[in-house]
Order: sequence, then structure tokens, then C-alpha cells
Amino acid sequence: MSEQLTESLVDQLTASANPHGGWGYRVDTAPAAEPTALACLALGTHGVSNALTDAGLARLAKMQLADGRVAVSSQTPSASWPTGLAALAWLKASDAARERHRTNATRAIDWLFSAQGTAFRADPNVYGHNTTLTGWPWVDGTHTWVEPTAYALMALRAAKQQEHTRYREAVALIYDRMIDGGGWNYGNRRMFAALLRPFPAPTGIVLTGLAGEQRNANVDASIEYLAKELRGMTSAVSLAWGLIGLTTWHDRPREADAWLARSAAMQSQDAPSPLENALLLLAASGDGELSPFSPPRNEATSMTSRTDE
Amino acid sequence: MSDSRDACNPQKERWQPTRRDVLGAGAAVLLGGGAATALRYASQNEGGLRADVFIGKAAGYDADLVGVIHAGLTELGVTRSQIRGKRILLKPNLVETARGESHINTNPVVVVAAAEVFRRLDAAEIVVAEGQGHRRDSVLVLDESGFATALTEAGLSFVDLNHDDFVSVDNAGTWSKLGPLFLPKTLMKADWVVSMPKLKTHHWVGVTCAMKNMFGVMPGVVYGWPKNALHYAGISESILDINATVKPSLAIVDAVVGMEGDGPILGTPKNVGCLVIGRNLPSVDATCARIMELNPYAIGYLSGSSGKLGPIQEQNLRQRGEQIDTLRTRFELIDQPHLRGIARA
Repeated sequence: MSEQLTESLVDQLTASANPHGGWGYRVDTAPAAEPTALACLALGTHGVSNALTDAGLARLAKMQLADGRVAVSSQTPSASWPTGLAALAWLKASDAARERHRTNATRAIDWLFSAQGTAFRADPNVYGHNTTLTGWPWVDGTHTWVEPTAYALMALRAAKQQEHTRYREAVALIYDRMIDGGGWNYGNRRMFAALLRPFPAPTGIVLTGLAGEQRNANVDASIEYLAKELRGMTSAVSLAWGLIGLTTWHDRPREADAWLARSAAMQSQDAPSPLENALLLLAASGDGELSPFSPPRNEATSMTSRTDE
Repeated sequence: MSDSRDACNPQKERWQPTRRDVLGAGAAVLLGGGAATALRYASQNEGGLRADVFIGKAAGYDADLVGVIHAGLTELGVTRSQIRGKRILLKPNLVETARGESHINTNPVVVVAAAEVFRRLDAAEIVVAEGQGHRRDSVLVLDESGFATALTEAGLSFVDLNHDDFVSVDNAGTWSKLGPLFLPKTLMKADWVVSMPKLKTHHWVGVTCAMKNMFGVMPGVVYGWPKNALHYAGISESILDINATVKPSLAIVDAVVGMEGDGPILGTPKNVGCLVIGRNLPSVDATCARIMELNPYAIGYLSGSSGKLGPIQEQNLRQRGEQIDTLRTRFELIDQPHLRGIARA
């Protein structure tokens, strides 16, 4: 993406910050954990670390509950799915900000290890996936789904926990939920006799969550599905997550920047969304070491107060 | 207008669902249980509740849908003075999209036609709003479903209810264990909430229509995708609580082309050729079930509604416009034990 367009997205994102810190899904909605975490990651990726990102990270800290989770709101503590994204934002912040939020990140990672989606034994004629595997749910006390699981994997990888049993089980779960032929939807492969369809955004999110894993036929099939789907795609969320996923696996299409520019141009015709701008910026960052989704180098120590039991 | 009550045998319809019939064996595990006893329908009198339901023929999406909807509202006694200056929220059913599968979602032509009728009745504001249950990316769903073009051409705005600000509201129902409901602010600001579903079969609850469509007002950021927290609280029980709390003002059902078989997303198109309109959602859904030749008493959320949220028995419904018999067409369900009672009407 051109420098001019990147600067424009950075300007739009900074201009859409909530005056009290953080970002909402829309410019006229209250700050929320997901757009705030992604905005901090996006601005950080483009070298922007300032009072706005500090305020965003502090907003996430304010949203963190006593047990370490970051919920959608204090009224809805069971909607704990943003915890992985918040932890990732803290772990990938600038050195000073990361140090400032070290405890927040540690508590969030610890909470991720303590939380899991509901597992149960089910009739294989009804469900097409292994319902006994656990990852992370959108809402406590409900089943595991692939997007919150992928967010948790991104955070745990940033905390260098790829060998933890929970991480390994979640990777297995994600492969188990893959649609035949490649790609993922929200996390159902089959219901009764019918095979379900994959969607581009969850596929991109899941491929990003799997970064650092061994490449295999499942990944190849999903990349192939995604590469076809993104051609002609203008929706910022699906295009950006799709490109982030492909880029993570070093399969970024040559036309990626042109697609992003086209999508960004369409965004500006409507009311810009902080979430969409953040994702476009993240997708624009390419596959350099600055990407917050890249697997970490091996030399650093892990961040958690728990051991793999 | 002839009386359609003789058209089906009320004795035959008075079948009482069991917990297993309502939720299904598999569903009872993943989707949670609920107060199955509350899902039995009330007495024949249904607490004295009565409702009007209008059926208007529309052979295709190029029919005069504005005329049909306007006629429906007139028959139902909806007046300009009731609509003037009001904020109207049109809630279509958008789930996910697939190329060539336009029967998954409410056709945008029907929504635009409804908006035009409300404009003519001097509504102050009309917004189209949805919180899709499967695909989070609203822009993509709007693009692929044809809504983006249709709404732009009609000058209508869309609000993504999944990511709207939300407020806590006391749960006016007593069926599920959801506790307070978290509802989008845009929904709470609306004077009239209009449920605009697609007429479809549903692989868990048999039929998805005006009442089930209200799942889409529940924000995904709170309830997840595919709104799994509502499944755990019981699908039928959650439908009842949401409808008891939101109290939609009107339903306009897109039954021009519906879906049978493995609904709500993988079924096959089914031509019916009508719109079904009513101010009481259980009554509208019961009428639609009869059009589909399915047993409304075996549909958990309809039997639960009976005498509480509305009447569902034919003798308590006043049929306006076309009669059910002129449009009745059997919708096939997938062959699963928990749906067999619904198919036996």
C-alpha cells in the first residue's frame, strides 16, 4: 500500500479515538476491547506509539476484571472473548508500554489457561466435529469456537506458550473444525448430514492463529480457498483478515496492496470504522518482523505465572 | 372472506410436545435445556387473546409489494396517525450468504417496499438493522445479499446490531435462564420494531419465522457467533424471552420464496408466493406454519407463546386477505426424531 494511503489510514484511526481513551466499533459508539486492541496493534505496527496508544492500552487495563479476563463490558463478564486480543496488544506494545502492562498481560495469559469452552460427548450423526476438544468460547459456559480460540493462540504465542498442552489441543481443535476442502466458518464443519460453508474472515483469523505451526495440506487448502475468495473482495474486515492470514504463511498475493487500496477507498465513501481502518493497517504491514502476528524469536523467556500441568 | 377454521382438524393439531420433541436429543446436550413444561400451549381460549393475520399474494419479487404491504397494514388497522413521526426499525433475516442462494436471507426488495410504505405513512426515521448469526462481517453480507445496492438506491441506512452499543434490560419472559437481556441502543430507540423474516424450516426448532428472527437483535459481542449463549439457554426459551422483552410491533414475512429441508441456510427454495403480515408474532408464525403444512403446536416457542404472548389456535385468529388454503404447500423437514411431531400436522 502506498505511503500516502497508509498515512491516511493512520490519520483516520488516530482521529477516531475516543477522547477518554480507546476506540469504538464506530466513531459514535463507546470504546470496546476488540477495536481498541486492534487499533493499538495497527498503530504500533506502523511505528506510532503515542499518547493515543498509551490511552488505548490503559483503557484495556481498565476493562480487565479481577480474575484477569478482559470482558466486553463490566456488565457482561461472561463475554470474555476479547481477552486474547487485549493480551496480544499489551505484549506487542512498545518497550515502555509493554513493561507498564506486564502484569496485565500476565494475568490475562493466566486467565486464558484457566478458561475453556464447554466440551461434551455428542452424537456424531449430528455434529461433524470432535466436541470433546477444548479451546476458547465467545461466552463462558458455552462451546468452543474458532475465532476466540485463534485470538487466544495469538496471545499465547506472543507469550511463548506454543508448547503448552492447551495450545496444542487448541491447534488440534482448529484443524478438526476445518471445512472439507479448506477454510473455516465460525467453527461448525457439518450439522446433521450437511457440510457447511467456509467464510473468508474466520479463515484469515484462524490461519493467523496457526502462525508458526508446520505447514500442511490443511493449511494449503485453506490458503487456496482464501486466495480465490479475496479476489474482488472489497469488504475491509474480510479482505484484511484474509490478507493477514495469507501473509502470515508467506502467501501474500501480489495484488494485495492494490486490493487494500481499493477497499480503503471504498471505506472513505462511508463513515469510517476504527475496526476496519485498524485491520486495513495491519494488513498493509506485510510480513516483516514488525507484524504482531509473527511467531516470536526463540531466545526470549515465556510470560506466565503458571506451568504446563 | 371465508372461514379457514374448517380447513384443518383441531383435534389432530392438539398434540403436546415433550421436552425431547422440542429440543431434540442432541440439542439437549449442546444447546442446553429449559423449562419444557412451560412450552405447552394454553387452554383453548388462550387467555382471551385474539389477533388478525393478513396474507397477501405476491407471485414474485417483481409484484407490487408496496401495494401488498400497504393493503396488509390497512386491513390490520394500522393508520397514518400511528406511524407519523415514529422511528421504524426494519429487522430482516440475514444469516450468511452464498452465491446463487438468495433464498437464505430476506429479499431486500421486500424490505425496501416496507420502507416505502412507512415513508408514505410519514414515519420520521426508518432504519434497517440486523446482527447476523453466522457471519460477523456485515459489509460482506450486505454486498453479497444485494442489500448494499438496494438500501443505497432506496436511501436507507443500515445498523450492525452485533457491534452497536447495548444496554441491560429486565427480561420480561420467564422461560430461559438468560437473566437480563443486553439489547442494542438502536433497537431501544425504535418506536416500531418490525420483524421481516424469510419463511424457512429450521433444523432444530422446525420453523424459523418472525419470532426466531428476533435472535438477530441480540448483539454477537455479548452472545457470540452463532449466538451460542442463546442455544445454551434453550433456543425456544430464548425466543420467548426475547419476544416478551422486545415486544415487536409488526411482522412482515417474506414468503414469496421460502426455504424447505435443511434450513435455515442449507435448504432448497420453496415457492409460496405471498407476504404474511400481522401485529402479533406468534399468530403470524402459527399461520405460516399452517401454510407450510407443519404443526404449530409442536413448535416449542409457539406452544409456549399460546395464551401468553399471543394466540396460535385457528379459532382465535382472524384471517385477512387470502385464505391459508389457497397457499398451503408442504415444506419438507429433515428427517430427525426431534422434528417428527412438527411434520405430522
